Amino acid sequence: MTRLAHLWDQSRCIACGACIAACNAANYGSATEENKTWRWLRSNIRRVEVLRGPRPMLLLVQCQHCENAPCVTVCPTGASYKDVDGLVKIKPELCIGCKYCMVACPYEARWLDERTGLPEKCMGDECLSRVSQGLLPICVEVCPAGARAFGDLDDPSSEISRRLARSRYVRLLENKGTEPKYFVVVGP
Amino acid sequence: MENITRRDFGKLLATVAIASAGVSAIKPLFETKFAKSQTSAQEYAVPVTCAACGAACGLLFVRRGERMYLVPNLSHPQPGMCFRPASALQLWNHPLRLKKPLKRAGARGEGKFQEVDWGTALNEIAQKLREIVQKYGPESVAFTRHDHMSWILPFIASVLGTPNVIGHEGTCHAASTAARRFVLGASGPTSVDPDYENATYILLIGRNLDAAMGHVRRLAAARERGVKIVVVDPRAPNIAYSSVEWLPINPSTDAAFVLSLIYVIISEGLYDAPFLKKYTNAPFLIKPDGQPLTQKDLGQEGAAYLVYDNATKSVAPHDKAQDPALDYEGEVQTKDGVVKVKTAFKLLIERVAKYTPEVAEKITGIPADTIRRIAREFAISRGVAEDGWYTSRNGNDFDAYRAILILNALVGNIDKRGGLCFQESSRFPSTCTIFEDRIETIIGYTLPPVKAKRVDTLKYPETPGSFDALLDAIIEEKPYPIKALFIVATSPFHRDVNTEKLKKALEKLELVVSIDILPQDHIDWSDYVLPDLMFLERSEIGSVKWSLHAAVWYSHKVLDPPPGVDARDAFWALMEIIRRAFPEKAKLVDYDERYADYHAFEHYEEQFMDTALKKLADLWKLNVAEIKEALETNGFYILKKKSYETRPYKTSLATPSGKVEIYTLRALRYGLDPLPDWKPPVYKVPQAPDEFYLVNGKDNVISSHMVMVKNAKWIVDRTVWMNPADAERLGIKDGDVVELEGLDNGFKAKAVVKVTNRVKPGVLYTYAFAGGRQSKLISGEYEFLREGVNPQWFATGKVEPVVGSAPTNSSVRVRRL
Repeated sequence: MTRLAHLWDQSRCIACGACIAACNAANYGSATEENKTWRWLRSNIRRVEVLRGPRPMLLLVQCQHCENAPCVTVCPTGASYKDVDGLVKIKPELCIGCKYCMVACPYEARWLDERTGLPEKCMGDECLSRVSQGLLPICVEVCPAGARAFGDLDDPSSEISRRLARSRYVRLLENKGTEPKYFVVVGP
Repeated sequence: MENITRRDFGKLLATVAIASAGVSAIKPLFETKFAKSQTSAQEYAVPVTCAACGAACGLLFVRRGERMYLVPNLSHPQPGMCFRPASALQLWNHPLRLKKPLKRAGARGEGKFQEVDWGTALNEIAQKLREIVQKYGPESVAFTRHDHMSWILPFIASVLGTPNVIGHEGTCHAASTAARRFVLGASGPTSVDPDYENATYILLIGRNLDAAMGHVRRLAAARERGVKIVVVDPRAPNIAYSSVEWLPINPSTDAAFVLSLIYVIISEGLYDAPFLKKYTNAPFLIKPDGQPLTQKDLGQEGAAYLVYDNATKSVAPHDKAQDPALDYEGEVQTKDGVVKVKTAFKLLIERVAKYTPEVAEKITGIPADTIRRIAREFAISRGVAEDGWYTSRNGNDFDAYRAILILNALVGNIDKRGGLCFQESSRFPSTCTIFEDRIETIIGYTLPPVKAKRVDTLKYPETPGSFDALLDAIIEEKPYPIKALFIVATSPFHRDVNTEKLKKALEKLELVVSIDILPQDHIDWSDYVLPDLMFLERSEIGSVKWSLHAAVWYSHKVLDPPPGVDARDAFWALMEIIRRAFPEKAKLVDYDERYADYHAFEHYEEQFMDTALKKLADLWKLNVAEIKEALETNGFYILKKKSYETRPYKTSLATPSGKVEIYTLRALRYGLDPLPDWKPPVYKVPQAPDEFYLVNGKDNVISSHMVMVKNAKWIVDRTVWMNPADAERLGIKDGDVVELEGLDNGFKAKAVVKVTNRVKPGVLYTYAFAGGRQSKLISGEYEFLREGVNPQWFATGKVEPVVGSAPTNSSVRVRRL
């Protein structure tokens, strides 16, 4: 089995914005139109800042590639599906634009491309293409802070498996039963 | 995984380059295999150097099918990257990009222009320039710049005959650069740097690693080994989202904090005495007048600095003493009688006695226990305190940075692995070398000497650059008139203090020419605007800045300007202006009408890169072809790896004593205090409940151009931050609009408040360079650039004497609207 997954290390992320903007450049051709769903740039990564807590805190949120993905469950056409590599993907040719997946996602990880009427999310086309060629997703490739990793959870020698083995981490909204594969490292 | 990626990029590198719409053929400067390997492959990755800020990080320009984007060049000694280059393609085809030469068609400041062709613009500028130079002399022409063109502009100025190339330093690193010169005999921010990768304990005071990204990568490596990072800042910079200890400090009190750390370290005996005795001037004997005791005072031959030798119980030259005393105080018989002397270290002890942790707590707002704990942690783990980049903040910054450098020396962590290290110099040649009777240019031609002195260093002798002094010279015509200003790829309205003075100066000038890519605010005040190339459109070389290794970089030209943008190389534009105004001056450097054709200019420009590399190859005894090939293929060439424990251990420093100077003798030349002290800021300290400090800064998303791309609409914050306690007290909610009124200058402006725990109570924070854009050329979906305030509007314009640092923080009154 292959279960590709993302790791984001909150204890290392310096909020430089490289991953967010690089996602826009690589997957959306540096497009300048607004992502109206998130009131954000056309990028698959959102920034959530917690500004009233005991200390400043940041979360970067993107598709969690859930093992038990609500977006897949609710999709009436099979356009949203979990691939054999463990990633949740979209077949645009099957999508009817009903947006059930957007509503069902507890992470609000999908946004609507109004030009095509189709939902967008991590990973974008270019990242899928890169991964298929053995390259890293662009957010991981550009990160200067060592705050990201990507790889196969079922391969104990993968970067992500090794880092998870020596880190404390959480997964977001685990109580929803989604079994997310986006690991938020909070410290060694 | 990272290794696999690197190899894959290696493969990509082997297959290079097609040209398609807007994408230039990768035409390399040098004839090497890089050129020959061009194929019709759809995928390539070409080394470029980021110029989105001044850090010059190594990147690869990737093209995969229809996609173009940038990724870090991971093998580079200073690899990227951050938000700025990730958004660089939005800068390239920016709708507001300056597309054609513009000529002013209204009053200065109105922002009314007509498009003119290049020939008309260059001829008209040249004619006006000729009139000005004939009337006022060539020194009446000034250039201001940031990083772009900083290598070339001295050449252009020398051909013209003016010394006045005056950059951004006065509101950037003037204070820390002077401190580095005084304490370490070093220079700009890159000349010394913490060895992040090997550090165990890092103190970042007013510094957040917003650049260079190589620092952040090295820090990530140090985190693997459990480095502790302490961030001292009134606001939590982005790096404080990561695992650091953030100490919110009252603005303008860094010096008091550091002097208190020094107090604890000395009083608890945690300092490195052998280092202080041997490699610093701590044991030097100082006379009551502040001057050091030398052999001259004793009527002896020689001028060595004297110390008290514990071994012989007598006064001796520093290098002859077996055990120089650190805390000696006594009387010495000189040729002029008996004088009382004390060691420099003793004077430092007396100075820091003013800053016990309890006293420092009252000044800084940092609890005394925390100060003690940080001091102990720092000394015991032999920490390193960062030496400052963007440091023109409060008007007392020179002292804060001298104190920081002394703190590093106190624990003996100078030029050691994990310490504050000197960068290995690449010895990258300047375009001009100045001699008494002539100027030698890099391309082999000799120019007459420039007689006039820079107007800024006449006023502030230790400044690396003071634009404020240039404004004074323009307005007062002293020490001599300045009548023409070329503003090259920099943004004075967001860069410099004293907005009203800037406007007055711009109104008074007889010629204002701006060379840029986007409508920065000063564009509206220009007589002529010339559209420049952005970094992906030009090939360049330079010295790798933010690495301890000595290295050079090369950046390929990978794009042509997009359709409709008739942008041209600033170097060509300036040479053409000089040629059209003064053909005889241009002839001195073999520049004539051959290069009027823009495309022929490449050949002229190539000489600069070519000779620079030949000189480097000679200096380092290397094969120039090998360097060229490496530069083209990899984007960098490492000339020398960092060698630790060189300065001051094997080589003396460029300080008056050759030692690390905890007692800065250079200060005596100007009547400055040789020891750092804390002083209140130059602006009014907030007192009333509605009065606040207004602090500004940067993060990885800020640079004068990259805040203007569309991504910045969502990523860059244009609000003013307020602590929840203050907001509650004043009845202000997140998103409310308030009026800010400068306590010193009465300037008023509106801003949206963001209520956040990222700023200390009593302090407001806003980003520098981002808010309050005012150019009339900003329109349509870029109107968001007008939001927020420009912190420079409120700055006092009071400048630190001698070092010419113009603080950008201020204080304001807040009124809810």
